Amino acid sequence: MKRFADALSRAAAQPVRSRAVDTLCPYCGVGCAVTYVADTERNRILYARGRDGAANAGRLCVKGRYGFDYADHAQRLTHPLIRRESAYPKGQLSPLEKRPEKPGGPVDYDDLLPHFREASWDEALDLVAGRFKAIRDRDGGQALAGLGSAKGSNEEAYLFQKLVRAVFGSNNVDHCTRLCHASSVAALVEGIGSGAVTNIVRDIARADVAFLTGCNPTANHPVAATFMKEAAQAGTRLIVVNSRRPIIAEHAALYLPIRPGTDVALHNALLHVLIRDDLVDHAFIRERTEGFEQLAETVKAYPPERAARLCDVPAQDIERAARMIGDAHAVLFFWGMGISQHTHGTDNARGLISLAMITGNVGRPGTGLHPLRGQNNVQGASDAGLIPMFYPDYQPVDDEDVRRRFEQAWGVQLSPQPGLTVTEMIKAARSGKVRGMYILGENPFVSDPDVNKVREGLTNLEFLAVQDIFLTETAEFADVILPASSFMEKTGSYTNTDRRVQLGSPVLDLPGEARQDWELICEIGRRMGFAMEYGSVAQVFDEFAAATRAYATLSHTALGARGRWYPCADPEHSEGDPIVFQDSFPSGKARLVPARFQPAEEQPDADYPFVLSTGRVLEHWHTGTMTRRSRALDAISPEGFMEVHPGDARSLGLRDGDVATVRSRRGEVRIRARITDAVLPGTVFIPMHFREACANLLTDPRIDPDGKIPGFKFCAVSVQAERCDVGVVSAPHR
Amino acid sequence: MATEHVSLTIDGRSVSVPAGASIWDAAARLGIHIPVLCHDPRLRPVGVCRLCVVDTGERTLAAACVRPCQDGMEVRTDSEEVEAHRRMLLELLLSEQPDRSAREETTGDDALYALARRYGIREILLPDGGEGTPRGRDASSPVIDVDHQACILCDRCVRGCDEIQHNDVITRTGKGYGTRIAFDLDVSMAESTCVSCGECVAVCPTGALTHKAVRGLRLEEGA
Ligand code: SF4
Repeated sequence: MKRFADALSRAAAQPVRSRAVDTLCPYCGVGCAVTYVADTERNRILYARGRDGAANAGRLCVKGRYGFDYADHAQRLTHPLIRRESAYPKGQLSPLEKRPEKPGGPVDYDDLLPHFREASWDEALDLVAGRFKAIRDRDGGQALAGLGSAKGSNEEAYLFQKLVRAVFGSNNVDHCTRLCHASSVAALVEGIGSGAVTNIVRDIARADVAFLTGCNPTANHPVAATFMKEAAQAGTRLIVVNSRRPIIAEHAALYLPIRPGTDVALHNALLHVLIRDDLVDHAFIRERTEGFEQLAETVKAYPPERAARLCDVPAQDIERAARMIGDAHAVLFFWGMGISQHTHGTDNARGLISLAMITGNVGRPGTGLHPLRGQNNVQGASDAGLIPMFYPDYQPVDDEDVRRRFEQAWGVQLSPQPGLTVTEMIKAARSGKVRGMYILGENPFVSDPDVNKVREGLTNLEFLAVQDIFLTETAEFADVILPASSFMEKTGSYTNTDRRVQLGSPVLDLPGEARQDWELICEIGRRMGFAMEYGSVAQVFDEFAAATRAYATLSHTALGARGRWYPCADPEHSEGDPIVFQDSFPSGKARLVPARFQPAEEQPDADYPFVLSTGRVLEHWHTGTMTRRSRALDAISPEGFMEVHPGDARSLGLRDGDVATVRSRRGEVRIRARITDAVLPGTVFIPMHFREACANLLTDPRIDPDGKIPGFKFCAVSVQAERCDVGVVSAPHR
Repeated sequence: MATEHVSLTIDGRSVSVPAGASIWDAAARLGIHIPVLCHDPRLRPVGVCRLCVVDTGERTLAAACVRPCQDGMEVRTDSEEVEAHRRMLLELLLSEQPDRSAREETTGDDALYALARRYGIREILLPDGGEGTPRGRDASSPVIDVDHQACILCDRCVRGCDEIQHNDVITRTGKGYGTRIAFDLDVSMAESTCVSCGECVAVCPTGALTHKAVRGLRLEEGA
């Protein structure tokens, strides 16, 4: 006989008082809606439930489901910190390389904390405002710069760019969009006059063909990937292009493993076949585009056979891909950083735009252009003007009328000169042109290319204020560190990759004396003599929305529990427009911009025979500040690795799990090898998250001329097995 | 094109639904929640737990989640026979459960226990099949606890993994009493291609698949 009375009475365990809060996942651009259940007494999240959001329909990935515990990590910053006298002259405080006695993981607090002292909020904020003011009054606004964050809300992004523009007095404000999709945005703005996606991910269900290039959705947009696989099962044919085979390729009708850095040649060959075989949409070309003749002329020189040689894929596969695109009624184009993070990233994106345009695949169900955005709010931060050349809503800072309007709205004179981008700021810091920086929620010391140069730049700054939730590698160079709010503690709106604007709500209380980011931005402004008074975050949203066309109809109330897509003419009765540009583009006609293939700058040679590409893994986020402090995510994916092809591993004398030294012209890292045929012979792959095996010690800081994005996906390296005698240089296996 | 509709009565109330709709869906429209363990509206119905059986006047009881409505059907969802049948099924399932439900003690939403409470089951006159947890556990994943003893083979995790997340990791293995869920070609969860999305935990109705992070906490929502 079995008794259940005990268990059934629910008296078995001590009850925990909990609270369920409807909010969003803090990680990626998919923007999953989630309910976090929190232990209210101990101020920590216990578990997650998927919520029926527009982008996720209740689904979550490992990051949204289990990656929430960073917020109550013991290392959260809880007091303002000021650098001690003894910690000058400034420099890096902890070693970047993994020390044998210390396991990997984030910055070691024991290395850092002794160099800072706790301070009161008044002292810290007065110091920050005072030093920024002194630099501004002495050297002018151009000597100050701000790096905002795509992890923050729209409201925070809006306030941050307002502070830099109206109070610092320059347009030197940027964020990590520079490092992910700046080239895509440059190409889209040039081509159609808008940088946002033209259709949502889930509309892939209505596409006959989906072209997925330079993206790895099962790792980087995992819930979006579930809808892609679902579509593939229901008959949407996927064309997958990549030089490192993504898992989504298992669901592809056609996979093209192209040689890194040759996308322009492939796009031109596809355009070539489409035009040669007359698989184009003449009416669409006539009515909605301009520049077709020029494009046709340029791609004439790219028959599939030529591209086949350049890209190292069979010509008949190129023919087949072109035919699939040309014969389909609806094609949706998705791309990721394998397209954008090149020194020819803008050209790469131009080709995709041309492919969609000449086949009439924009503005209808199942069609469109979708650069998969990375951060949860990279779309919104860009919309809110966290970009050096644009005010909110992509209104150019060098446009006289626009500037007048903002001067009137904000009541100050504004600089007509476009500001510095992320990479340019670092350069200017090194040369001494930029003297003071305010960095909120970014970690350029790990995320930017060629971090040795970043170190020089940050060291050279006269004053650096860092606002964050943890001590980051960047905070090591700070004069003042301001403890701020995590996603789990704030109210704000976030715009996902689909242009869906959704509200996040506080699940936890702020730890210690930490404060809301938006309040700190306003405090600094106020202490520098500029009134930034808002009663609530919703009020900030209203001011931001009023400065734009895209958000003009929206408010926190209008967004409600499920959010809205922008544009949304009537938020009371409609969810907004998932598909845009049905009849025309913001720029009127789409401009087709031809591109010629140029090989990447740093080609492999005898000394550096491999091509290195960087990227991400499913369990981690960016520089790992959050995910490496999540017990679950860290347990599943504890360390960095380098993927290498079996043939190359053999000639290098590398076995799976062996440690290798990887060198480029800029630096070297030691890292464990993982042998897989997902990467092509002659190429290696290293994820960017792990500071002790920091991929960005190796990467090339050269940038795309239009998007100003660095080519993270291509640089030349050498690989050497640690315990064997084979020379440094080993020719790649072909 | 207008969809065809069929009309029927459920517990004496009439309802009209599109042809092909299941009895379970039709009842839900009337606000009648037919008890269920293996079914979830987001998943393809499979009718394996038999808890949703109803009386359609036929020789045998029908599983409401898979049986399509027919015109003129008269359905009883709570007849004595139906309730006795459900009670017996619950007792059989509970007799093999571990002494405590990991789900009940964490997220507090064990559907089997909820039904046991609803049917007032406190002790079962069947041998205790759960003693010593002969079906075993898999604690290899850093985030998900697998207690095969609490598994009722409802296939919700299999379908959640396949149909909701499209990861195709979970399957069934073994025969008869030894049947259990398995990962890939029957390796541990940690060694499998599982991506730890947690969907299986979200859809599991019992303590078989639970979040490790909240083990040992009983939650009281709404503070
Ligand atoms: S897909 Fe993105 S938004 Fe959704 S749960 Fe995963 S990380 Fe979060």
